[in-house]
Amino acid sequence: MRKEAVVSKDLKRVHLVQAALLLSFFLLLLLPVLAGYSDYILQVFTHALLLATLALAWNILGSSGAISLGHAAFFGVGAYGSALLSHDLGFSPWFTIPLGGFLATTVALIVGFLCLRLRGAYFALATLAFVEIPKVITDNWDGLTRGSLGLVGLPGLPTLRLGSYSLDISGSPVGSYYFVLCYALVLVLVVTLIFRSNLGLALQAIREEEIAAQAVGIQVQRYRILSLLVSGFFTGIGGALYAHLIRYVEPGLVYGLHFSAIPMIFAICGGRFTILGPALAALILYPLDQFIFHPLVPAGHEFLYGVIIILTILFMPSGFWGHLRKEQLVSIKTGSIE
Amino acid sequence: MWTTVLVSGITLGCFYTLIAMGFALIFGVTHIFNLAHGELLVLAGYVAYWLWKTLGLSFVYTFPAAILAALLVCLVLQRLFSLLSEPLELNSIVVSFGVAILLQNGMLFFFSGDYRLIRIPALSHGLHLQPFYLSYAQLTLLVLSLLVIMILYLLMRHTYMGKALRATIQDKEAAALAGINVGAMGILAFAIGAVLIGLAGPLYGCIHYLYPTAGLQATLLAITITIFAGIGRIRELILGGWILGLAESFAVVLLGASWREMVSAVMLLLLLAINPQGILGKEER
Repeated sequence: MRKEAVVSKDLKRVHLVQAALLLSFFLLLLLPVLAGYSDYILQVFTHALLLATLALAWNILGSSGAISLGHAAFFGVGAYGSALLSHDLGFSPWFTIPLGGFLATTVALIVGFLCLRLRGAYFALATLAFVEIPKVITDNWDGLTRGSLGLVGLPGLPTLRLGSYSLDISGSPVGSYYFVLCYALVLVLVVTLIFRSNLGLALQAIREEEIAAQAVGIQVQRYRILSLLVSGFFTGIGGALYAHLIRYVEPGLVYGLHFSAIPMIFAICGGRFTILGPALAALILYPLDQFIFHPLVPAGHEFLYGVIIILTILFMPSGFWGHLRKEQLVSIKTGSIE
Repeated sequence: MWTTVLVSGITLGCFYTLIAMGFALIFGVTHIFNLAHGELLVLAGYVAYWLWKTLGLSFVYTFPAAILAALLVCLVLQRLFSLLSEPLELNSIVVSFGVAILLQNGMLFFFSGDYRLIRIPALSHGLHLQPFYLSYAQLTLLVLSLLVIMILYLLMRHTYMGKALRATIQDKEAAALAGINVGAMGILAFAIGAVLIGLAGPLYGCIHYLYPTAGLQATLLAITITIFAGIGRIRELILGGWILGLAESFAVVLLGASWREMVSAVMLLLLLAINPQGILGKEER
C-alpha cells in the first residue's frame, strides 16, 4: 500500500516535469507574441537559444566525461570559415554554414590527434591552450582574415518565401528567433539520437569506467574522437550561424572566453549526462544574466557564471536536470523492486 | 642584437620561473590545478597600480599590499578547494576556471577594462654594456627574481618547513606517517604561493599591460613550466623558465610581437603530446 503510494507520487512528479517541459516549449513557440515583439527580449532569447545549441554540442563530447575548455576554437573557425567564404567568394550562406562546420571538424581532428591520449585534467589544459593557436593565426593573417579589426558587413541569411508567406531571417529579430529555435530543436533531436545510438552508449560506458569499457570490446579511442568531431562540427555550425546573424566577426569576440566557458558552464550546470539539461540551463541562466544582473552590474555581470560553476561542482555535480532525473529514476526503481 | 635578445630572454625566463614557482608548489603539495593563478597575479598587479597611481605610494611599498591581497584571496581559495571531491585534479580545474571568471569580472568592475601600465621613470633608462643593452627594469626583474628563487631554494633545502613541504610533495601518506601535518602543509603551500604572486604581480604590471583578462597568458606559462619541470624541482623550473623566456624573445624578433601569445600554448601542447601522463606520470617513471 505504502509502496504504491511512493510510486504514484513519483509518477506524479514525472508527469509534472513533463507538463512543465511541454509548457515551456509552447512558451518558446509563442515568445514573440508574449514579448510584444520587443526587439531586445527577442535578441536575448535568440542568443540564449544559440548558447543552448553550443551547450548541447559541447555535451556530445562532455557525455564521455571529457571536459573541454576550448570549444571557442571550433566556434571561431566555423564563424571565420563561413564568413570568409561568403564574403570574399560570394557563396550563399546556406552553402558556407555547413562548410564552416566541416572546417571546425578539421580543427577538431587536429585537436584529437594532439590530445587523444590525454585524460581528465590534462585534456582540459590542452584544449585551453589550443584556442590560442587559431586565435593568434586569425589575428595575424591580415591578408586573409583582415586581422584584429575583424570583418564587417557579412551577408545575412536570405528571406525564406513559402507562397505568400515570407520570413526575413537576418533582418528581423522574429525571423532570427524562429530560425535559431528550429536549429535548436533539430539539435535536440540529433543529440537524442546520438545518446540512444551505439555512440551514446559507448560514451556512457567510457565515462563510467574506461578500462572496463575497453575490456568489453568498446573501441574507446574511436568513440572518443568521433564524439569530439561531432561536437566540433555542431559548434562550428553554431559559430557560422552567429557570424551571419550578427553579420560581423572579430578574433577577440569569436575566440573569446565567452564561447569557451559559457557553453561548458551551461552543460555542467544543467547536467552533463542528460539530453535537455544543457539547453534548459542556457534558457534559464542567460536571460537571468541579461535581464537581472546586466542592469545591476553593467561591467562585470558575467561573475554570475563563475559563481554558478563553483556552486554546481561543489553541491550538485550532476547538474540540476541530472539531479532531478536521477532522483526520479532511482526512487521509481527502488519502489518497484521492493 | 642577438645578445640583447638573449639577455632579455633570460631575464624574462627568470621572471617566468618566479611566476611558475607558486603554481608548482601549490600543485605539488595539494594536487590542485589553480587556473586562477594568472588572475591572482594580475590582481596583485592592479593593487600595486592603484596604490602607486591614486595614492602616490612609492613602488617599493606596493609589494606588501600586493602580498597581503594575494594572501587573502589564496587563503579563501584554499578553503574553497578543500571542499572538492574526487577527481580532484579535474574538479579543481573547473572550479578554479570559475574563480578565474569571477576574478576577471571583479577586476573589470573595480578597475575597468582599460589597459594599465606601471611606468616608473627611473626604470626606463638602462645600461649600455658593450655587447648588449640592459634596461633598469630588466635589471630589477632579474635581480629580484633570482633573489626570491634563491631564498625559496634555501628555505626548501635547509629548514624544517621546507623539508616537510618536500616530503609532502614526494609522498603524502609517508609524510603523514612521519608526523607531518599534511593539511597544514596545504595551507602553507597556498600561503607561500600567495607571497610569490604578491612579489611577482607588481613586477608584472611594470613589463606587461594590465587588463582584466590578461591572466590567461600567465596561467598558461605557469602550467607549461610546471609540466616541463615536474614537481618539487626548482632547478628544472628555472631551466623551463629560461627556455620559455628565450623562445618568446626569439619569436618576437623573428615573427613579430603578436605571435608571442602562441609560444606557451604551443609548448604546452608539445609537452603533453610527448608526455601524455602529465606531471605525475613523469614522477612514477
